[in-house]
Amino acid sequence: MGLSEKDRIRAKLKAGDTTVRVLLSHPMHTGRAKNDADKLIPAEFIQDIRCWRNSEEVLSIKCGTATARNPYFSFHLVGGQQGDQIAIRWVDNLGAKGTVETTVI
Amino acid sequence: MMEDLNRQRRKVLKGAISASTLALVATSGLLLPQQLLAHWPSDAFNAETVEDALLALLGKADIADDSALQFKVGAPPSYAINGASVPIQIQSDLTNIERVIVLVEKNPLPLVMSLEMTSACKLPFKSMIKIAEDSPVMAIIRANGKLYKTTRFVEVDIGGCA
Repeated sequence: MGLSEKDRIRAKLKAGDTTVRVLLSHPMHTGRAKNDADKLIPAEFIQDIRCWRNSEEVLSIKCGTATARNPYFSFHLVGGQQGDQIAIRWVDNLGAKGTVETTVI
Repeated sequence: MMEDLNRQRRKVLKGAISASTLALVATSGLLLPQQLLAHWPSDAFNAETVEDALLALLGKADIADDSALQFKVGAPPSYAINGASVPIQIQSDLTNIERVIVLVEKNPLPLVMSLEMTSACKLPFKSMIKIAEDSPVMAIIRANGKLYKTTRFVEVDIGGCA
């Protein structure tokens, strides 16, 4: 699950600041839910998300299990200009990784 | 003669040991981007009460209640139909924000997320969280070395923290 769906990212310049919106595709299992066969679904959740702007790290988000499924984040970066590279990398508790990049419009 | 040999042998052995430890460190990924994982504060995230989580994350510290910190939970605010995905929004006029922490008091594991912000980053911050049952939701901001806190009570129809 999640493999067929893609992480999405948008970055837009607005009133001098950059607005970044990210939608990651991840089941975020807490490890407490049960599946149809009444077996516990093992925990699988994103632990660490980091954001780079033009190879400068600007934000790091540590997540627990209580972040909703398919995590969504929106935040602002001071300044910036069109064409800036914004990159997000995430790692989950099982070591799976993902990268998603975009340019500011 | 024999002693000389022994000394040399020791040297070689020592060299071999330090080389192999270095190789171990390198291959174990400590120097690679995998160190991301090592920085995850598992004590804080596995804590079962708000106090424990904060103690593990921030140490002993005074937290001032601050209404200048704007914090919205749920849509419409203070009410959420589905606890599996409750929108939150944090906004504040504080400057030099270093850290933002979100906790849900009655979740099995209260600590939801912890943001480390650099000066290039700015609020408002929006996200979606899971809330298990009717519970106070807390946002804590660390700015200029001080901690500010604000709490909202949220009602949920369907618990979302299974």
